[in-house]
Amino acid sequence: MKSTEGRGLSADSRLLMAWRVFRGAFFFGRKGLIIWDSWDMWVMQIVITPIAQIGFFAFLSIYLKYPTSVTQFIVIGNALQSMSFSAVFAVANITSQDKWQGTLPSTMVTPANRVALFVGRAWFQVLLSALIAAAGLLYAGGIFGVSFAEANFVGIAVVVLLTSAAMISFGLLISAVGLYMRTALIVANIFLFVTLLLSGVNFPVSELPGWLQPVAWVIPLTYGTEAVRMAISGASLQSLLPVLGWEALDGLLVLVVGFALFSGFESLSRKTGRFEEY
Amino acid sequence: MASMGSLTPGRQVEGRVNKIIQVLKASVFLTSRLFFADPQWLIPNIIAPFIFTMVAFFLFQGQTSGSAFLLYLVLGSGLMGMWGTTIYASANSIGFDRWNGTMESTLAAPVPLSWIALGRVLFNTLQGVLNAVFILVIGLVWFRVGFGLVNPPAFFLASVVTFISLSSFGLLMTTLLLLSRKGGFITNSMEIPVYIATGTMFPVILLPVVYLPFAFMLAPTWGIEAIRLAALPGYVGLPTTYWEDMVVMVLETFAYLGLAFFLFKRVEAYAKRMGTLEEY
Repeated sequence: MKSTEGRGLSADSRLLMAWRVFRGAFFFGRKGLIIWDSWDMWVMQIVITPIAQIGFFAFLSIYLKYPTSVTQFIVIGNALQSMSFSAVFAVANITSQDKWQGTLPSTMVTPANRVALFVGRAWFQVLLSALIAAAGLLYAGGIFGVSFAEANFVGIAVVVLLTSAAMISFGLLISAVGLYMRTALIVANIFLFVTLLLSGVNFPVSELPGWLQPVAWVIPLTYGTEAVRMAISGASLQSLLPVLGWEALDGLLVLVVGFALFSGFESLSRKTGRFEEY
Repeated sequence: MASMGSLTPGRQVEGRVNKIIQVLKASVFLTSRLFFADPQWLIPNIIAPFIFTMVAFFLFQGQTSGSAFLLYLVLGSGLMGMWGTTIYASANSIGFDRWNGTMESTLAAPVPLSWIALGRVLFNTLQGVLNAVFILVIGLVWFRVGFGLVNPPAFFLASVVTFISLSSFGLLMTTLLLLSRKGGFITNSMEIPVYIATGTMFPVILLPVVYLPFAFMLAPTWGIEAIRLAALPGYVGLPTTYWEDMVVMVLETFAYLGLAFFLFKRVEAYAKRMGTLEEY
């Protein structure tokens, strides 16, 4: 028996239903995260990993006798990048976790709007990622000596939130791959670490080989690291707009590609019966 | 009876040493098969250390040149790869038994659990060397830098002892995590701090003084110092000689092994008595 729920509804009603799904998925995602992630995982994500990661590359820069400005470039980049674990890794594993917990088939048979459902579930991670990046920047100032004397704090807040949202798109794209593959774990990890190399976190994108530079600009974090450095140097919100505009556009495009992949893999998984494979 | 259905019993061997060797061989073989069947080990073994090393490559390129820097990175990446496997795979090796539901079968084997764990740890540590090989090939082919050693026999000796010290540390970690449900937290939290504490990419002498006691308690810290002294011309790190580093590393390795076997015996008996090993 095919479900006919939702058909024949006006655009307004469909939008309302999508909003309800989004809201429900958001609260479900938040609740699930708080239940499954015990206090130690929060400590790891917000305290230990950012400090250790920033410290590793900062010490490397000090060892190589780079000037303080280069070390601070590295510290700021890593402070923002530390959000990736939450923004990309956790979101990328949404479909895989559904497989592990046996809830994917039940989720996929709902007639709910897919974008509202999965973006909603990932949305809490935007807030968590922003919190992690903010903590990273706090360590950058408090422990690693980055000066925020001229910083545009409103600009920093906008960059952090936008970068979190844009990186979530990447997480959702990888999650779509996880719908068909046995697990998204490896792809998510590769992407998580690749941002350290390609996103201008530790050195300018211009130092990458020419053929890799276009790839770097596909990743929203690349725009984010550039924008956050500008904001810390005191750039106004207006001068940040071009970079932020590109980042928003990039995040949106990635989301569209992710949705297309999701639809394709959903259809393929239904045909081949691979929903429960992990 | 030669066989039970489709199962063939293991070859019977006499003598304690032969039995241990048989257990180690079987454990290494099984771990290697699991490695190829479940490629998620690629993450801590190869992907993470590889990316960290590639970032270091780009940073080093701006400041140094010649063969010494490639060797420095190869050594550091090798140690990071071995650390990655030690922390994730070895420390959690019993945890995976819990998840896979093989804990009872493993415990029911008529051999001490510590020897089974040691076989797993040895294979896991060996995987880490793969990363160093990748970095070496990339350095030689892509960055076209040379490669040479100051004292090859000393380098070889220090590498082997460092390998053993990392395996011993992995065994100790396995014991410590045997009763813990927080394995994921501990292993994830340790990864980058131990890269820093053992000076994988920079000498530990650069670290703040409060960090140094932790660094000195880790045998691989002395191992990488000895390896660098034997490999790199004019290397300046800790104010110790090659042999001093080796002696401290060996002593600490013995301490790890002694503590690991002692704890294994206690923890295994305790866990069997309490019936809590399956808890996670």
